[in-house]
Amino acid sequence: MNIIVCVKQVIDPEIPPVKFKIDPEKKEVVPPPGVPPVISVFDERAVEAACRLKDKQGGTITVISLGPEKASEVVKHSIAMGADEGYVLNDAAFEGLDSFGIAYVLSKAIAKIGAYDLVLCGRQSADWGSGQVGSILAEILGIPVVTLACDIEAADKNIKVKRVVKDGYEMVEAPLPSLVTVSSELGLPRLPAGMRIMIAARKQVPVWKAADIGAEASELDKAHVEITKLSVPTRKTECEMIPGDSPDQAAENLAAKLAELL
Amino acid sequence: MSPVNATYWGIPGYAIFWVLFAVAFGLFAWRLRFLFRLMRLGKPQNRFDHMIKRIKTMLVEVVPQWCNLKTVTRKDIAGVGHALMFWGFSLFLLSYIIFIGLAGGFGLSSVIEQTTFEIVFFSILDIAGIMVTLALVLAAIRRYIIRPTRLEPSGEAAIILVLVFFLMVVNVAVVGFGYAAHDIQASWPPLGSALAGYLSGTGLAQGTLEGVYQGVWWLHYIVIIGFMVYIPRSKHLHILVSPANILFRPLGPKVELEPIPLEEAESFGAGKIQDFKWKDLLDLYSCAVCGRCHANCPAQLSGKTLSPREVVLNLKEHLLETGPELLAGKTSDKSKTMIGDVVTEEEIWACTTCGACQEECPVSIEHIRKIIELRRNLVLTQGKMPESAQLMLGNMQLRGHPWAGVQSLRLRGDWTSDLDIKVLAEGDKAKTLFWVGCTGALVERNVEATLAMTRVLKAAGVDFAVLGDAETCCGDPARRAGYEFQFQIMAEQNIETFKKHGIKEIVTTCPHCYNTIKNEYPSYGGKFKVVHYSQLIADLIGQGKLKLNQEISARLTYHDPCYLGRYNGVYQEPRRVLQSIPKAGIEEMERSRKKSFCCGGGGGLMWIEEQPGTTKVNHVRIEDVLKTGADTVVTACPYCLQMFEEGIENKDIKDSLKAKDLVEIVEAAMKQS
Repeated sequence: MNIIVCVKQVIDPEIPPVKFKIDPEKKEVVPPPGVPPVISVFDERAVEAACRLKDKQGGTITVISLGPEKASEVVKHSIAMGADEGYVLNDAAFEGLDSFGIAYVLSKAIAKIGAYDLVLCGRQSADWGSGQVGSILAEILGIPVVTLACDIEAADKNIKVKRVVKDGYEMVEAPLPSLVTVSSELGLPRLPAGMRIMIAARKQVPVWKAADIGAEASELDKAHVEITKLSVPTRKTECEMIPGDSPDQAAENLAAKLAELL
Repeated sequence: MSPVNATYWGIPGYAIFWVLFAVAFGLFAWRLRFLFRLMRLGKPQNRFDHMIKRIKTMLVEVVPQWCNLKTVTRKDIAGVGHALMFWGFSLFLLSYIIFIGLAGGFGLSSVIEQTTFEIVFFSILDIAGIMVTLALVLAAIRRYIIRPTRLEPSGEAAIILVLVFFLMVVNVAVVGFGYAAHDIQASWPPLGSALAGYLSGTGLAQGTLEGVYQGVWWLHYIVIIGFMVYIPRSKHLHILVSPANILFRPLGPKVELEPIPLEEAESFGAGKIQDFKWKDLLDLYSCAVCGRCHANCPAQLSGKTLSPREVVLNLKEHLLETGPELLAGKTSDKSKTMIGDVVTEEEIWACTTCGACQEECPVSIEHIRKIIELRRNLVLTQGKMPESAQLMLGNMQLRGHPWAGVQSLRLRGDWTSDLDIKVLAEGDKAKTLFWVGCTGALVERNVEATLAMTRVLKAAGVDFAVLGDAETCCGDPARRAGYEFQFQIMAEQNIETFKKHGIKEIVTTCPHCYNTIKNEYPSYGGKFKVVHYSQLIADLIGQGKLKLNQEISARLTYHDPCYLGRYNGVYQEPRRVLQSIPKAGIEEMERSRKKSFCCGGGGGLMWIEEQPGTTKVNHVRIEDVLKTGADTVVTACPYCLQMFEEGIENKDIKDSLKAKDLVEIVEAAMKQS
């Protein structure tokens, strides 16, 4: 099974909240100095899902990442986990794209890669969390999309996907080729082991520019989304003590209050 | 008139002597050959360097029995007993060679018999015999009546005690009956001639005495050569092997870990018994089942299933079981899996690598490197490890340090702006680097110690620089957890950084960084002068550059970190520092210096979950602290500090006990009133 996985490099979500800063003028997040960026959590699970399928079915895994040149690190991380090849998509023209633009660029890269059976993405990015790129990409590629997967199994020419839904799980069968977005319920991604970690560290990751993948300026210039305001929410905590003569009474009062609020 | 000269049922004594010897020696040599061939299944390892030094060490350890005398404490003087038995039995062995071998088998009895040499030697033997018997009796009382934790009643132990006692008794009988049968009047050797005197007085016929003499003589001989057959088939194999084990022990760091060569291989670490090095296998033969490792292991003492003794013995059994098939070139499917059946994963992940086992072991077994080789196999080949370990190692790989959810950033954060420290930028050079270590840079409580350290260094006028965010973890947690390739990447990266900035000397506050950079980085191409800050501060005080004038009214106790103490022998300097504080008194814990009890943070265990349902190692150690009555426990390691803080929090004793880093005490003692 030939799988393509889209991965993104993000600001480390594990930084202490007090270090998270934005530039409200430019409407951008200011990367905290001295903290290396990491692979987006859900994308890492997507790579894990690909590796699990490769373990069972064989095939190849190709990883692509749209981002700065440093994004080669997340490509290498994916290769250490089990991916075979990877590319970074980097161009000045790719800066500030919205989900539609990103999906377009990825689709051009996928076209350049060639034949595939499955495309995997994280369910959303660990920074902006829009959760749209996967679905839009599938639409552009003209393939079915199954979102929020926590398990993917190959079944003949199809895949069986276990989806996370509000009150449980849903099993969906989809034909190949398809696109699946992966959720963290998939489980802990594998630790790069054996020699892979050394192979990946020494790998040279090719960088593709707009011209390499035939991304047209006319498409890249189309903006579907405009950010009007970026702000850090102020948190206000209020504490109301619910009275009660006895623990049972307090519990009743609490339940009533909750029913009122909800 | 040696019994060998006589004829028995028409067969000359010489023939019987030598046939018996040939059989016994054959069985002995056959077994040794088997064991040697098994050992050779292990991977190559160069322990043949500096042979003169090695031989000297071996002689010093073995002949004056320093290997055992160094284990003697007030509570456990068995080492003295063993030394007596060793010296005593060495004399007996010599006597067997001379008086049975040369005098008997080689027919030189007429030359040796009744000479002054013989009389003197026999007299010494009598005294040695009494000493050995005394040691045997005490040994038996310890093992079967007192029953200390480390000793289990065992069949093999009973056999040897009985056999040796038997030999002591028969040795006297041989002389006694021999003298009586040949009417030799003598007063030396004391016991033998006393027995002879008694026997002469009983009026037994000369023929009877002669007969008994011959019987006792041959019985003595058969037991001795039987011993030779028995030794390599029991734990007493250590008699033959342990001097070699001491000869081949590591000359450098006590835990010798090798980088894994970068060829594509199917398997890393030790997954099968022959994946170990030959010295690892020799270790298995050397174990005398003394139990000292078991009785000092913090994992074992806090209720974990891990016992270093059991690991060694189970591996030995496994080697002997699978050996014949391996020698025949077959791999057995029905045999037990080494990781899983012989040593369980639970045991493998319980080790804090504290080194107490190796410190106690009289025969220089290297327990720790075996555990790490097993971990390498689990992590690098099988991809199997506890979730807590995987999370930590994932962080090492992704973030370059083991601390996720950090509470403070590396030193290009807020606080350096007040402090005016030199942070090395691209192209800068510096001679002395203050290596902070990931814990000291990222964990809130430990950052306090780091800040104190910078203030102390500046006050003492030390010219130093820091790396800031170019510093990744030294790699120690990755290496101890078996994630060797990640360690290699980090070591190479750090070494390159050091070289780029022209660093010559590195000062660190963390014993793990100290140990790793000092002892392990050289095999990755980086040799630097590495100093632990306690050594630096002791020096500065000695040079008068630091004055500790302020009295400290706290009652202190000092906890020796494993990686500073046992691993690197730094016991004195932290104490010297504390003792130079006016009115400061250290209340030593019973388990201190090389007997220090681990805090539970090493070997990756700072992150790896301990076996559920057992006491946590740091909670056991805190009891030691509380026993001293101290109100402050001082340590010189960021893991130890964290472990004590956790223990204090857990036991809710914040009001009565404080945990401090040594540098914090130093700073407090520096303040002008």
